[in-house]
Formats: sequence, C-alpha cells, structure tokens
Amino acid sequence: MNKAFGKKGLKLCTALMAVVLVFTGCGSKGSSDNSSKELRSIEGRYTIDPETPAWKLDKKEETTDLTWYVNADWWNTDFGKDLVTKKIKEDLNINIKFITGDDTKLNTIFAGGEMPDMLTIFDSNSPVVQKAATWALPLNDLADKYDPYFNKVAAKDTMNWFQLADGKTYGYPNYSNTQNDFDSGNIPAKTAFVIRKDVYEAIGKPSIGTPEEFKSVMQQIKKQFPAMIPFGFNSIGTGTGSLGDVLQDFIGVPMETENGEFYNRNLDEDYLTWLKTLNEVYRNGDISDDSFADDGTAFEEKLKSGKYATLMLDGTPQQSGNLQIFMTENPDKEYIAIDGPQSTVGHEPTLNQSGITGWMITYVTKKAKDPAKAIQIYTYLLSEEGQKLMNYGIEGETYKVNEAGKIEFLPEIKDLQLNNADKFKKDYRMGEFMFFGHDRDKALSNDAFADSIKQMQEWGKGKLKPHFILENINPAQGTPEARSLSAIDTNWNTTLVSMIRAKDEATFDSTLAAYKSFLKDNNWDKIAEIRTEKMKSNKEKLGLK
Amino acid sequence: MNSKKPMGQRVKEFVIDYKRQWEIQSMVIPGIIFMIIFCFIPIYGLTIAFKSYTVIDTLDSAPWVGLDNFRIILSDKYFWDAVVNTLGISFLKLAIGFVIPIILSVMIYELSGGRFKKIVQTISYLPHFLSWIVLGGMLIAWFSSSGMFNEILLNLGIISKPVNILLDANKYWWIATLSDIWKEAGWGTILYLAIMSKIDPTYYEAAKIDGASRMRQIWNITLPNMKPIISLNLILTVSGLLGSNLDQTLVLMNSQNRAKAEVINSYVYRMGMTQGDFSYATAVGLGVSIVSVILLISANKVSSKLNDNQSVL
Repeated sequence: MNKAFGKKGLKLCTALMAVVLVFTGCGSKGSSDNSSKELRSIEGRYTIDPETPAWKLDKKEETTDLTWYVNADWWNTDFGKDLVTKKIKEDLNINIKFITGDDTKLNTIFAGGEMPDMLTIFDSNSPVVQKAATWALPLNDLADKYDPYFNKVAAKDTMNWFQLADGKTYGYPNYSNTQNDFDSGNIPAKTAFVIRKDVYEAIGKPSIGTPEEFKSVMQQIKKQFPAMIPFGFNSIGTGTGSLGDVLQDFIGVPMETENGEFYNRNLDEDYLTWLKTLNEVYRNGDISDDSFADDGTAFEEKLKSGKYATLMLDGTPQQSGNLQIFMTENPDKEYIAIDGPQSTVGHEPTLNQSGITGWMITYVTKKAKDPAKAIQIYTYLLSEEGQKLMNYGIEGETYKVNEAGKIEFLPEIKDLQLNNADKFKKDYRMGEFMFFGHDRDKALSNDAFADSIKQMQEWGKGKLKPHFILENINPAQGTPEARSLSAIDTNWNTTLVSMIRAKDEATFDSTLAAYKSFLKDNNWDKIAEIRTEKMKSNKEKLGLK
Repeated sequence: MNSKKPMGQRVKEFVIDYKRQWEIQSMVIPGIIFMIIFCFIPIYGLTIAFKSYTVIDTLDSAPWVGLDNFRIILSDKYFWDAVVNTLGISFLKLAIGFVIPIILSVMIYELSGGRFKKIVQTISYLPHFLSWIVLGGMLIAWFSSSGMFNEILLNLGIISKPVNILLDANKYWWIATLSDIWKEAGWGTILYLAIMSKIDPTYYEAAKIDGASRMRQIWNITLPNMKPIISLNLILTVSGLLGSNLDQTLVLMNSQNRAKAEVINSYVYRMGMTQGDFSYATAVGLGVSIVSVILLISANKVSSKLNDNQSVL
C-alpha cells in the first residue's frame, strides 16, 4: 500500500506541475486578443432614440451584472446599499460588483486577461490610456449603436481631448474642465496665498506684493509672533510642494514662448527673483527648515493648529477640513486669502485648476458582457439628473431648491452631515460616488464647500486660466526621454530646495548653474522638442490658436 | 559520491530511497509545489527585463530589446549612486548592527534573571514591532528643529542654533544605520538567547571551579557555543546586503538627503511603480538578485572555512 501511495504521489506531483504550466500558459494570452468584435445587437430590447436616454427605453428584464475595476484601494466597493447607488441600481436595473486595487493589480488584470466590464484609472499619461484602442470599446461607436443621447451629455471638448489616433474616444473622465467651464465662473480657484487674520491685523494689513515688502513683512511677523512660522508651503516630498508651478502660476509666469514653443518656466527671471527672495527670507530665519522635511501629515498638523503665519497654499478644498477645524476653535483667527507675492514684471496671476484631462477616467472594455448597459451608465451619470443624484441625492428626500434657486440639504440631512459623518456616508454616500462628477454641480449649492475656504474661492475669482496646452505633454513612458525627464524632475526637486536653503548668493547661483548644466547633459533639448510638438497637437485638438 | 555510477542505477537508488522514506519525503511535496507556483513560474516574468514592456503588453507580445535595459542601467548615474548608498549603509549596518545583538544578548544572558531581565528584553524588542512608517514619523518629529534632539542639545549648550539633521545628506548613512540598530538590535538577540539557553551549565560550573572569571567564561564557553548560529546569521545578512532598506528609505528620504539616501530598492520602486518603467526596474532587480546569490555563496564559503569546513548550504 505504501508503494502505491509513493507512485501516486509522484504521479500527482507531475500532473499538478503539468496543470500549473498549462494554466499559466493560457493565462498570459488575455488582452493580446486585438480583434475588435462586432458590437452585439440590442434587437428586441429597444430602438434607439436620439432624444431619449437609452436607460429609459431599455426593456431588458433581468438585472445586468457588471464588474467594474477601480484602480484605487480606497474606493468604497458597496453598491446598492446607500441612497445614491440604490437609486442607480433601480433606475438602470443593474448590479455592480466593484473590484479595487493598485497598479500591480491593474497589471495583473491586463496580463491575465481577466478583464472586467468597466475599468477606471487615474493616470492619463499611462500606456493603458495611450493604447486604449487595444482593449476598450470606443465611446463614439457605443453611443451610435446603443445610446445617441450620450452625445448630448458628454462635453465635446473632453471627447476631442481623449481622442486617440484612430479618431475615436475610449475613456471619459470626471472633473474635466473645458474652456466653457472656465468661462462660466463655476469652477473655484484652489490656490491662495493665505495669512492668519489676527496676524494680518496686528501687523497693520501691509501689502506683500514686492520682494522687498515680502521680506520686511516676514521679519515683522517674526518679531511680533516669535512662536509662529512666518512663511510656509505645502509638503515638498518628491515634488515641489507649492513652490514650483503653483508659485509660477501665482505670479503669472508665461506658459509658452512667443512662438508657441515649450517654455522652461523654472528658469523664468521673474520666478527666479522670487526664489532669490525666498532664499533671503530663509537666511533671515523666517522659513523653518522643517518645512522641507515635513510630510503631508506633518504639514496638515501644523495647518490645523495654525502654526503658519502666512502660507502658499495649494489644494484648498483638500485642506478645507483642517482649515475648518482651526477656524472653529479659533474664531477671528481664520486664514484669509490676500494678494500676496506678485510678478515683478507685471504679469497677472494664471491660477490652475484640474484641467481638461480631469481625474478618474472610465472605460468600457472589450470584454463587456452588455456594452449597451455600460454606455447607459455613462449617459445616466453624466445627465443633470445623475449629477444631482450623486451630489445631493433625491429632491424632497434629501434636498430642496430654495428661493434663490440654490440646492439646500434638508435640515436633518445637513445635521447628519455635520454631526454624524459616518452614518451620512454609509446611508447616503452623497458627493462620494463621483464617476463623471464635476465642479459645475458643486456650484449649484452653497453647501458644497466648507465655510473655511469660501473667502479664498471668492478671492480667486477671475484669476483662473486654463493650462490645457501644458497637459499630457511629457514624453511617452519607457522612452529614453521619459527617463531623462524623470531624472531632471528629481534633480529640480533637490535644486529648488537647495536654492532656497543656500547659505549665500554665490551658492544660490552655483546651484542654479549646476541645474542648467544638468539639463544640457540630460537630453533637455529633445524633451523640449517633444513637448513643443505635443503642445501643438493639444492646440489643434482644442481648436486654439 | 555516486556521481560515477551509471544514470539508470542512480535513478533506481533514488526511487528505492524515496519509497523507503515516503512518509518524510511527502511532507516536502506541498513546499515544493508552493515553490514551483510562487517562486519558479514567476521567474518567467523576468523576461521583461529583456523586453520593452508596458502595462498593456502581455509577457509574450512585448518586443524584445536584448540587453538594452542593462546597457542603460550601466550608464545611469542615479543607479550607481543608489548602489554606493546601498553598499555604504549596508556595510555600516553589518559592521555595527551585527555585533550589537551579540553583545546585547550576552549582557542579557548574564543578568541574573528576574523582573529586570524581562523588562530589558521587552523594551529592546519593542521597536521591532513598529513599522518604519511609525518609527520614521517619530524620527522626523524628534529631529525637527523644535524636536527632542534639538531641545536636548540646545539645553546642554552643545549647539547654539537648531539644525534638522535629516536635511544633512552627509549624516544620512549614520541616521539610517543607527535607527535600524535601534529598531532591530533587541529582536536580533532572540536567536542568540535561545542558543545560549541550550549551553550545558556544567561547562560553567567546571570553569568556575577552575577559577575562570566572568569574562573568561563568556569568551571561552558562551561565544564558541554561539558560533554556528552567528555564522548562519552572517550568511543570511550578507546575502541581503543589496536588498534591504526600502521602507526606511521611503520614510526618511527628502529632497536634500536624496543623493545619499536613495538605495537600489527605492530606486527600483521609483522606476517601476511611479515611472511605470517595468522593464528597467526588472532588469535592476535581476542584476541585484544575481549579485546577492554570489554574495550568499561566497559568505557560505568563507564561513565554512572559518568553521572547520562545516557549511550551512
């Protein structure tokens, strides 16, 4: 008997190995299947009507099950349990199974060929987006065949922007701001130079526009408020915090050369003057060394406790919670936006916002079992109805429209939002299910943003300028230029901080010179050329001159 | 050695041996299957080091580029910086961090038992259970210009102005080494203490009767008994020389100390995960693995020479 088992064991082992090998062999085929299969017919279900969203026409009785991969671990995978998704589930007669993960999981999905029906990713520069034609269904075709109403709710500029070389668009983002959105004034600024109100009043509300004024005000703050950090900025990490392009936008550094070529804004004279000023401020002891080492948490901790007297602040909506905490605990000491540093050569601020590329980009994959349903989801969520549902819930049940025409949460809902955020999230999930969400819907209500940043948003009115031409202009991933660029960006991160921390002017200059020669040694000309090229095609896509 | 026997006979002997010990041998099978699935099959994935691979390619469809990725690595200044830093930090850790647990364990062993010994042990283990995210956050707070270290040094009059040494690239290797020792030294004593508890107490009694001092006993009884475990530990440490430090680096690195802080692993992480350059990152990883194997084998050779030709492998 023993013998028999030994033999069996060996056989079993061999068989297992064979199975494993075959299995992996099959597994790696997956998405190499490039053949674009015919879109399935919807005969018997409904006839399309350009004037009616297809989800209202679709007579399919059984519930459609969809799997939807979201490339973010934090995404809440519940569906159908809260007010918002329950309504979506009922209206569309669907059941979504969300899968979440990180880039590694995304790779596995592509490598293994186990594609979900829908897929949402964040990085518009990734090869997944660039080669979407190989694995996703074109939204244009889906709309033509199943749901022409989609064309009414999708923004033309955004569709054009995501068009690939074959003239078709595969993914649609949320928070994609078009020129119209910028013109409408519905998009709030997210950058501000802020100062604590009590500090501002104590030093006599001076002007801080020129480098000289800036330096002397910082000295004054230090004298009167020795416990505070006179000047702060967002955590630097591997980027530039708010001292790179954010400061450049703030003082209005041009986005391109006069000939429409790529302009290295880091070497702009106006900007460098301000960096030199920051260096002097640092040498006067008015910038804390810790600000260069702080991570996001440390920065937020200091912001929450009001440690900074003045602050170059980027991402005000993200910080609104921390600002609100400080404001509530310290009435009349809240941070307010003032004009702050200004161009030394007379440029106007050109603040940036999430551009046309947006944030989360959602695709229907070629493996989608019911592509008609998938495009119906797009149409539904993009329509006014869907947008209001995602942000404010259902009229009469969670919100009402007041006399001024603004949306207002009903008192008990507002109360829940303020005092029992967890329950609010769990039962209602408003403002959280934001595929295809948009700032313009936030403008419908005064409840959309915290009080702590309303003055900052007010201050920013008229200072926004689209940065469309600068979006997605980096060399394609995996190319030598992309590699050089990543080295250059890393180097700039170090250079910027070293320049501000330079112990004298000579060190400042030599650090800058070293950066310039680093550019030369790392293929900068070629990168600039690629960027100029991409800027040109951006302009063509958007019909800009 | 049976290498001179014909193949058929060797197979036959193997089968006979196997049948005789099948109960024991079969215990290994799950391990082997596990290894095949999770360690050997993924080796196939290493081919992307020789390809130009992006997320949407499959392992098969990505175009071959031969040794291009390796050529790029060899001319990459940042890679070589990372190599120098990895080796520098690892050797410091090896030189200091390897000896300290041995000394510490001997000291704990010599403590005469009781509450105090337990307390010392527990306190020294504690940092091991905290992740680098937590410890790194503590270090960043302590080193900040209003943090603990600066307060102490200012009050003692050693410095006149607070400095944040995390921004000083030249001190980074020491920060990395010492903080790692702080985290792991206590934990490292466990193995040694275990082996020491196995030492026959009659050795010590005999030595005492012969008039050996405490130090003499440690030198002639405790340490020689620990030799095999020390060399095993050394072999394992040496083979990991190129592979450690990732978590620590990701927390403690900043724009100013980057030049001295970037290690191979954090570089691979940056290239692979954040830049999406998987082929390049895989090529670096493959190179590191090969060097690590060479280190492992040479450490084993050296230690077997030192241990009367007894080797671990």
